[in-house]
Amino acid sequence: MKAILLILTLFTFALPATSGGFFVSIDERTNAMNEQLQGKNDYHAHLARALADIAAEEKAQRDSSVAKEFMSMAEAHAAQSGGAK
Amino acid sequence: MMHRFILLCAALSMTACVHNMNIDRSELDDARAAIAAAKAAGAEKCAPKLQAEAVATLYWAAHEMTEVGYHPEENAELAARAEAKAKAAHQKARKGCSVKVVSAPVEVITLDGVYFGNNSDDLMPASVAILDNGVKSLKQRADIKVEVAAHTDSRGSSAYNQALSERRAASVKQYLVSHGIDAARLTSKGYGESTPIADNMTAAGQAKNRRVELRVLSK
Repeated sequence: MKAILLILTLFTFALPATSGGFFVSIDERTNAMNEQLQGKNDYHAHLARALADIAAEEKAQRDSSVAKEFMSMAEAHAAQSGGAK
Repeated sequence: MMHRFILLCAALSMTACVHNMNIDRSELDDARAAIAAAKAAGAEKCAPKLQAEAVATLYWAAHEMTEVGYHPEENAELAARAEAKAKAAHQKARKGCSVKVVSAPVEVITLDGVYFGNNSDDLMPASVAILDNGVKSLKQRADIKVEVAAHTDSRGSSAYNQALSERRAASVKQYLVSHGIDAARLTSKGYGESTPIADNMTAAGQAKNRRVELRVLSK
């Protein structure tokens, strides 16, 4: 019982940190981001796209943790995009 | 079994904690300085794509430099690429942010259907009929001077698109001259990706942005 509780606690602790990668792929996140950035050409929009390109490159090299980190940076900049067209 | 599970959980929790992008490394001093100078010159507003590519490349270089299996040549190449893009952004910002007095065209004749080979300034055979119509118009309106303006979509680097559009504009001008239009009536100018008329995020928008126009400058 104690062991099961420990396992569950550890697994629950681990999930939030990795959920982005478990449940949504880099490709899906890129598609969602591109949709959000459609028609936007300001600095943050371009930076978001450039970082997503790097994420895709890292993913292709099977470095998924780095791909996720670049993707998170891309999404942060996409959120800052002011929408200049 | 228990040990394996604990290890798995620990590994999972750590994967999202990879923060190994130290952009303050001395190997990146030049790239960082170039990016800061470009930013100070207004590159984020005047050359956003180039500046963004420079910054993203800087982050990438910073990451690669901390990887196991260090590749000095590749990393130096990435740092140099970031620096080169920042310098190009700086240059563009200095040019692009100044107020320009440009003579507005009196009229713009879009040559719909003028196509080129992929990444080339060679005119496709299908373009000939369209250009012949252009020749006909220019012969009928012998009093006008025109600028042959070529535009690209935003795929590829800004510098490459600029050079490609200049070659394409020159190629169309050459065609018009070789079919009897006085060269003194024509100028050619490449606008690269700077003047989109449609959304560059869609294939249809990109196709509209890849275009050639005759901009009538005087009548």
